[in-house]
Amino acid sequence: MSDFKIAHREQSTVNVLELKGYLDAHTAPKLEEAFQNLLKSQRFKIVVNCKDLSYISSAGLGVFMAFIEDVRNNKGDIKLTNMTPKVYNVFDLLGFPLLYEIFKEEQEAVTRFFEKSI
Amino acid sequence: MKLRRLLYLSGAFFLVLVKFTIDVIGKNVELEMGGVSLVRELVVIAAFGLLYFVVDAAASRRESPPVKKLGFILIVMVIVLLAGVILLLLGVAGFDSKNLSLVPLDYPTIFLGSLIALAFGIVAMIVFRLLRDLILISRRPAGRRNYYILTGLVLAAALSTIMLRPLDAAVIPGILFGLALVFAVVNSFRLPWIIYLTKREKVFSLVYGFFLFCGFIIIDVMLAGDSLVNRVLLYYSHPLREFVMLVAIFATLYAGMAFVSTLFHLPTAEAFDRKRSEVSSLHTLSKLVTQVFDFNELVDTVTSMTLQVVEASRCWLEIIHVSGDGAPGPLPDGALSYRVQVAGMKSITQEEIDLLVSPEGPGLREAVMKERKTIVVDDLGKDSRFPELRKHAGLAGSMVVVPLISHAGLSGILYAAKKDTYGFVKDDVDVIAAFADQATVAIENSRLIRESIERERLYREMLVAQEMQKKLLPQFLPDVPSLEIDAISTPAFEVGGDYYDFMDFGDGRLGIVVGDVSGKGVSAAFYMSEMKGIFQALGRLFVSPKELLARANEALASSIDKHSFVSLLYAIIDVRSGTLTIARAGHCPLLHVSGEQAAYVRPGGLGMGLSRGAKFDGTIEEETILLKPDDVCILYTDGVTEARKGDDEFGYERLMATARAARMNSASAIKTAILETVKTFTEHRANDDDLTIVVLKWRGPAARGERTH
Repeated sequence: MSDFKIAHREQSTVNVLELKGYLDAHTAPKLEEAFQNLLKSQRFKIVVNCKDLSYISSAGLGVFMAFIEDVRNNKGDIKLTNMTPKVYNVFDLLGFPLLYEIFKEEQEAVTRFFEKSI
Repeated sequence: MKLRRLLYLSGAFFLVLVKFTIDVIGKNVELEMGGVSLVRELVVIAAFGLLYFVVDAAASRRESPPVKKLGFILIVMVIVLLAGVILLLLGVAGFDSKNLSLVPLDYPTIFLGSLIALAFGIVAMIVFRLLRDLILISRRPAGRRNYYILTGLVLAAALSTIMLRPLDAAVIPGILFGLALVFAVVNSFRLPWIIYLTKREKVFSLVYGFFLFCGFIIIDVMLAGDSLVNRVLLYYSHPLREFVMLVAIFATLYAGMAFVSTLFHLPTAEAFDRKRSEVSSLHTLSKLVTQVFDFNELVDTVTSMTLQVVEASRCWLEIIHVSGDGAPGPLPDGALSYRVQVAGMKSITQEEIDLLVSPEGPGLREAVMKERKTIVVDDLGKDSRFPELRKHAGLAGSMVVVPLISHAGLSGILYAAKKDTYGFVKDDVDVIAAFADQATVAIENSRLIRESIERERLYREMLVAQEMQKKLLPQFLPDVPSLEIDAISTPAFEVGGDYYDFMDFGDGRLGIVVGDVSGKGVSAAFYMSEMKGIFQALGRLFVSPKELLARANEALASSIDKHSFVSLLYAIIDVRSGTLTIARAGHCPLLHVSGEQAAYVRPGGLGMGLSRGAKFDGTIEEETILLKPDDVCILYTDGVTEARKGDDEFGYERLMATARAARMNSASAIKTAILETVKTFTEHRANDDDLTIVVLKWRGPAARGERTH
């Protein structure tokens, strides 16, 4: 099957997850684990950079839905950035832009966290 | 067969009578002519030729073990020996030697002499035939060749004396006799059967060998000297006497060699027996391993064989169960939770086992589980590794503990104990280890069998689920005037999360729903069937697609788990006005082909289960399109647009192009065209997502009233 990789970076208090490859039912557990680790260490400001994400299935979308409630309850958020048009279309079709903040650039999302916290 | 033997026997009897008659006549009338003596000899040879067939047939009929053959030789030897002695005791007149010939002095000499000669001849044949069996047990070509040479020489030596007077000697027969003796010596070393005898059989062989040797020595002496027996034979037939003599010498040598050889093999007989029982029990076990479904029987066999072969006084097997689910499975390295089941106890009780394996200090079980190597305790009362075991030295003097290790981990432990200290030699440990290996394979097999039965059961369950789910999809296409409809849905696995359905309002309106549950397989299938229930329950109550989606979301959101959702497209076509009203909950847009034009209709709307209440309701938009005759509307799931070939997706462009190209055809042909194009695109790989297509073709108000199906 196709590869899926996650890189984790911290930009001050914001945690950036960079997704790469195919996010489907097989690889979704990897992303779930990454989210769980962040939540376990009380890090709720999350930016998911989808620059190298080439495909996302409904199971992949489900991962975001599984954690958003917890994250928001802890005054954090999951923001999505740098989507290719194809990936954006999948998010858009389901109406994700109505539920999540989606940015063109990662920096915009990071800045957005600080705007709010001020 | 029986008849033929009877025929041979009576033929031989007749010939013997002929010979007897000639001898009787010869006593009274001078018959010293070459012709007559040749006839005499030929008659004897013919008679024994016939008798040999009978002996051979009888010997070939049943296979008996070597020692039994030896015993039989002993019996027939004793018989002729007694016959010879009786002859000597009867005090017949004997013979007068005249001109190197023998002349019987009275009729009893002829009569009894004939009987004795016959007895010696027949016994010699039997002995020769049985020795042949013993020698030819080994299939080595050199051995066979030597035996055949011996046979040839014996016969040649005998036959070469055919015209020799009884007391005459000649060079050629002498040379042949000598050569035959040489080969008799060579063949007497052929004792391949001795090493395979059990200890008991070897003892018998030793005794038989001794008596045979002694008996044949006596016969040899009888025949060699100027005894009455020798004269009787010489008078009866010179070749026969030579044959008997050679066979007797050969039998003497063979019996002597057998005796000596058995004597040398006797000390190792026990060890040989042991090895043999090891091999045969391993053989039995390995056969059992492949056959046995009854696990307990196998465990029982393993322990009882261990007990038997290494002569242990106690033995038992423990099977390790990972976690408490009851299924024996190998314990992977580092696993902590396990349960031990004691099985196949031999001469030991559970209480005694508890004392031995888990005393209050370091125990055998823990040690072998940790080290995963065989542990030998030579003296339970003194072993420094297991100080706590010392007080239980009364239960066992020495012990061997072998772990059952398969590729997946530790599946059990085999224990054997002896009363004596230092009871287990290296050989014993090796044998126990070999039994442990077999037990490992057996445990593994029984686990695999259980697993495959379970897998088979699950597979059947899935097939049932598949049948059930097929019934959830429409069994018939709705029959609506002016409208052609066709649909297909194929799951990626046995069951899937795609759903489509129709709702005929009966007033010219038809509701069409296509949905897709996130994920695939069983979990998706459950939501799919829930969707069916919700849609069937609410469909008739709400004639507005937007309203229906709002209510359906409400029903679904309470039960769906938070990382699952459902995308849905609901359309109501009104054949009276030729309009199609659609609402979309996160689903793929509807494809509308109208003449040369084609467009995706995509009103806004969140996927169902993503949000609830007013927030969701507020996102749902409704859109109505006016249909022109021959317009085609296609509802589908992402299994179509996301069908993949490598990194490439089928996509919206290809779907649109395909639909456009096929738009003039029937709904059914358009559906087929899309399906085929997708399959060609994916190069006919099995679809990796559930795939659904519903095609509507509007025939226009002109066609109203026609039945299209």
